[in-house]
Amino acid sequence: MTREDPVKHFFLWPAVLVVLAIAIFPLIFSLANSFMSLRLVPPRPSKFVGFENYIDLLGNERFWQVVKTTSLISFTSVAFQFVIGFAIALALVKKVRGADFFRVSFLLPMLVAPVAVALVAKQILNPSMGPLNQVTTFFGFPNLPFLTDSTWALGSLIAVEIWQWTPFVILLLLAGLQGLPDDVYEAAELENASPWRQFWGITFPMMLPISVAVIFIRIVESFKIIDTVFVMTGGGPGIATETLSLFAYQEGFKKFNLGYTSALSFLFLIVVLIISLVYLAILKPYLERYK
Amino acid sequence: MSVRDLRGAKRHWVLFGCLIWLTFALFPLYWVAITSLKSPVDVVGGPTYLPFVDFQPTLKAWTELFSGIRGEFFSNFWSSTIVALSASVIATIIGSMAAYALVRFTFRVRLMSGITFFVVAMGGFLFGREVLGIGPATASIIAFCIALALSIFINRFKLPGPVLGNDDIVFWFVSQRLFPPIVVAFALFLLYTEMGKLGFRMTDTYFGLTLAYVAFSLPIVIWLMRDFIASLPLDVEEAAMVDNVPTWRIFFGIVLPMSKPGLIATFVITLAFVWNEFLFALFLTNSKWQTLPILVAGQNSQRGDEWWAISAAALVAIVPMVIIAGLLGRMMRSGLLMGAVK
Repeated sequence: MTREDPVKHFFLWPAVLVVLAIAIFPLIFSLANSFMSLRLVPPRPSKFVGFENYIDLLGNERFWQVVKTTSLISFTSVAFQFVIGFAIALALVKKVRGADFFRVSFLLPMLVAPVAVALVAKQILNPSMGPLNQVTTFFGFPNLPFLTDSTWALGSLIAVEIWQWTPFVILLLLAGLQGLPDDVYEAAELENASPWRQFWGITFPMMLPISVAVIFIRIVESFKIIDTVFVMTGGGPGIATETLSLFAYQEGFKKFNLGYTSALSFLFLIVVLIISLVYLAILKPYLERYK
Repeated sequence: MSVRDLRGAKRHWVLFGCLIWLTFALFPLYWVAITSLKSPVDVVGGPTYLPFVDFQPTLKAWTELFSGIRGEFFSNFWSSTIVALSASVIATIIGSMAAYALVRFTFRVRLMSGITFFVVAMGGFLFGREVLGIGPATASIIAFCIALALSIFINRFKLPGPVLGNDDIVFWFVSQRLFPPIVVAFALFLLYTEMGKLGFRMTDTYFGLTLAYVAFSLPIVIWLMRDFIASLPLDVEEAAMVDNVPTWRIFFGIVLPMSKPGLIATFVITLAFVWNEFLFALFLTNSKWQTLPILVAGQNSQRGDEWWAISAAALVAIVPMVIIAGLLGRMMRSGLLMGAVK
């Protein structure tokens, strides 16, 4: 039902105004900046340069390297989060013993500040004093370079992402699983369908829409990753673990190269948009088939 | 017991898997808790696991933290608390109002007037700055106001192009989450600095930081509260309308009290988001209103490998949210969150 009353504008406008002024307008402001050559240190008068910043960036090897790193961290960690999260959500909905206790404690990592998580991870991954080193030493691999070798460092970041965000996947998938009707399963049970077939024939297809949404949210969110990387590796060794946000931060806050940073932010936005569109386009036929 | 429950030996395997994940999930938290109780010797001497057995716990790290030799701890704690609480309260109230309006009333926005806002704001800013030579802050304020007034004005006319409804407005709000925050954080930092030159100090102030957090919590608040308000029964409101109760009283007197569970859930989620936020605090504050995540991140570079001190600082940032997680879990079990987490 909808009704008419001019007071509706007083309800909606505060939110619209705040978002317009604090989120949309800065976006427009930096879009305008991205077409200019603008530096604060050393100060240089602003000059309209058109697409020069964008062309510069697209020819910059570092930019492509950073896009690759960010995508790698994001896709790998989200894949693990989804598989593990789905398994745990299934276990919880099937009333494993102690499900109530697990439900609360599994949520915890999600609520810890990423900066604090990164600091704890740094301690655990310390190559000489950390507990993980003790475990690997026991198996005959002492002093592994968890944060100082590029491959290991990427792996460590992915592990931290999995640790922190699997709870989010569990939370949403659990809500979805609880909403599935029981009668379909009762029918499957009468036909003696194996649990394996029940999963692929009933649970998975019915959970597809919410799964698509969860994976989408996680990919978009993990593309923004900066705090964990900032504390754990600082983008190092070299630029092996530098992500898009961190690159933009370095260019903007360390070099104060404003036009360039704004252009970089917009390319970042475009990368995220392309990935979202491709993702949704690939999945659309599957979503429609199960509707 | 429903047909979907586990049976037989499988139960044990699943329980085993859950326990492994539990260890993985909780060990880091256990580790930071015990490290904050270790003395320097126990930390550098290699990993130790059990207090009183492996090592003798001490409160040294905590007394140091509270006595303030690890940076302005109390000041950071208070600014974090004040900013997080007020930003989540404001965002929850403004967001619920908007969600209510979007559920119960019809809005029509022409796409053309949205585009007008965009073009006029950007063009006006560039024009003011490049051609008229006014400062960036003045130019942006003027451009913003003109663009807003113009787009509201032309929304009254029949313009070509599609008309957007309530769902599109919700999508517009939610799509803010798609933007990488660094895009906005950096621009916001520049705008705040320019405002400072005009005499309105925005960087490193309570007002500036809270405003930014409100704006960035709103999409999620509106998204959650819309579903919640839509699920409320209508008849109470209709009865009130028959008695000619004004809409604002229906909202504050009937709708808000009825949606208490949803409000609490939304508030808690927003609170966790703001409390843990790093990027905006990094850009928009430098001393007085610095929040805990910045202090915690700073420990890393300042104190080298003094893990006992770092752990204590990290714990201060972690513990309030753990308590909140416990409360949230209790609410979930008692069914208070039914329908809110969808």
